[in-house]
Amino acid sequence: MRRLFVAIIVLAVMLTGALIGFPTARAANVTEVLIGSVLPLTGTFANYGQQYLWSAQTAEDIVNNDYGDLQVPLGPGKGFPGLGGAPIKFIVRDDQSRGEQARTIVEQLISMNKVHWINGEGTSGITSIIQPVVESAGLPLTCHACASPTLTEKGLKWFWRTGPNDKTMVASVFSFLKEWREHGGPGDLKTIALFTCDNLFCQDNRKVATELAPKAGYQIVLDLTTKTGGTTLASEVQRLQAANPDVLFFVQYTADATIFQNDARRAGWMPRVIATSNGAYSDETWLQAQKKSNGGAGWLGRDPTAIDLVHERASWKKVNEVYKKYSRGQNMGELAMREITGLLWMADVINRAKSVEPAALAKAARDTNMGPEQLIIDYKGIKFDDNQQNVLATGVVTQIGWDGEKHTLWPWDLASKAKFKAVYPSPSWQERDSKPKPAS
Amino acid sequence: MTELAQAIVNGLQMGFLYALVAVGLTIIWGLMEMINFAHGEFLMLGMFGAWWLSVAVGVDPLLAIVPLGILMYGFGTLVYRLLMRRVQGGDPFTQIFATIGLLFLLQNTVVAGFTSDYRFVGDSVLTRLSGIKLQLLGITFGAPLLAAAGLALLLFLALYLLIERTEFGLALQATSEDREAARLVGIRPQRMFAVAWGVGAALVAIAGAILVNFFAVYPQVGLQFTVLAYAIVALGGFGSILGTLFAALVVGVIQSVTVVYLPPAFKDAFVFASYLLIGLFRPQGLFGRF
Repeated sequence: MRRLFVAIIVLAVMLTGALIGFPTARAANVTEVLIGSVLPLTGTFANYGQQYLWSAQTAEDIVNNDYGDLQVPLGPGKGFPGLGGAPIKFIVRDDQSRGEQARTIVEQLISMNKVHWINGEGTSGITSIIQPVVESAGLPLTCHACASPTLTEKGLKWFWRTGPNDKTMVASVFSFLKEWREHGGPGDLKTIALFTCDNLFCQDNRKVATELAPKAGYQIVLDLTTKTGGTTLASEVQRLQAANPDVLFFVQYTADATIFQNDARRAGWMPRVIATSNGAYSDETWLQAQKKSNGGAGWLGRDPTAIDLVHERASWKKVNEVYKKYSRGQNMGELAMREITGLLWMADVINRAKSVEPAALAKAARDTNMGPEQLIIDYKGIKFDDNQQNVLATGVVTQIGWDGEKHTLWPWDLASKAKFKAVYPSPSWQERDSKPKPAS
Repeated sequence: MTELAQAIVNGLQMGFLYALVAVGLTIIWGLMEMINFAHGEFLMLGMFGAWWLSVAVGVDPLLAIVPLGILMYGFGTLVYRLLMRRVQGGDPFTQIFATIGLLFLLQNTVVAGFTSDYRFVGDSVLTRLSGIKLQLLGITFGAPLLAAAGLALLLFLALYLLIERTEFGLALQATSEDREAARLVGIRPQRMFAVAWGVGAALVAIAGAILVNFFAVYPQVGLQFTVLAYAIVALGGFGSILGTLFAALVVGVIQSVTVVYLPPAFKDAFVFASYLLIGLFRPQGLFGRF
């Protein structure tokens, strides 16, 4: 009888523990958190892919090691406290910048590697291809640097984006162009030409610009879509020259931007304003190369952060030191900042969920309310709308000065802190040649 | 009218550069009838070599032509001796897969060594000419591209004389036409094939050293040129040096003129449409022989 009583007590305790302590038990069972990372490490977008890889390595380093004085999510302490100190592990796969390859990799990451979260693909076009696969598997998917609005506007249940989308960022450019007049800018800019490449990212930018340009008081005099990865843009420049817009809205990747610069230089053509959106303007290698030729001076464009001001933050500097361990000494560009911000938010979600169960992760992601003090980028914070787009992600407008660095032009409160006088009009090729070069 | 003339001139200038990229393929594919999908990667190696010599050693890309040409000649013969000779007698698909494998090997080796960053030659003889423009009848000629086109033309003519007017060139052609007959008159076919691969690789690397003045350098840069090079060799006629030059100029002009009047999406479509059109009437290409 006594034995029976003890057995009942033991059983009751075990049952209670199993019911009440379920999350704790699950947490204790997680030995590592697996993040499937599908990236374009080779192929057309390899330059971007490697920045995402370095960002993943940085995030893994920060989460798994103790950075006691680093005020970002999971900076102090080792691993996930909410999961008994389990470390994070990124399983990185290269999709060669190909959509069908990315799709296969994601299927493998889910079914064979049993990952808990998918991050990627880094480009909007290929991310839209992997979205249905991850959605049907019911796992969280994130692409923080993807800017196409359509990715979140589909209303998917399992996709989150912490970074701003093209609508937010292109709107920044047109808000600036519209308000510039009242803030000492030129009052006679009236026409604009759209010069965009042909993939999803460029075309989304083009659509937003087509809608916003007339509202900002600009007449579109030419709308030219180019083939990505060409060998010459001489005739395209001829058409731009003939249309003679005051403002050129330019969305091209680095290789094509270089071809454009050569062909425009040969034609001796320069519009009064070049306004860009991501692409080459977000590429650190392009920015650094411009310092040798003054090629970027006067180009203005949208950025997700006031990069000249954010460099002053202690957390930015420390995260940049970690990043440089993996990037062969290269500083974080805004693309890497967007990615690392998103990955550290992801780590915070996993930690808060205290579980790797998809439903718990989704709930913790939706419940996010992160303040700006925890970020290395100057979003106003992280909080999601119904489409799981971060509504506090912002856009700013920056311009490359004669020093080859980006300076904040808009919003006006940040611009007043940056104390930068806009370069206007966009300098002629002769002026670029005659001025001292920052890199020399 | 000036607009059209300017587009034609732009197209011709680019055409000379395309010709230089394609002529290496003419020798390997057109003349020796071997497939090389890694042709663009040879170009990429030439561009990386010129960039590295310029940045690390301070050698101008135009001077880099000499060491790169020699180095890539050796590399080309090595590729033939170690890889292509073994698959030469087999199914053409074996050659395709072997060279696609080589493409990935070279591209990814460069990614591992240099990362996928875009790289630029900031200061060179040709980039220093960038501010100079010549005007003729309202048409603008940019000095760097004009100089590069002139250089490409000179190299092209030298190659033409080498292939058409020297014993070596005749031996190459003889090997291409009938390997056994060539052997009977004392030509060593394997050696000629190795030399053809060497010359092809050297030429496209030289093209790379010129192109580096105008284009960003990155591991995947070869692809856009390879596709055009294949179209040019087929359009000009397999094995015809002059055909390659003519076809390259035609391709340059088609690309350029199309965009002046139509959306840029038609640019390459018209290039390949022109090949299909020529193929209907002259399947051997404009200057090719069966």
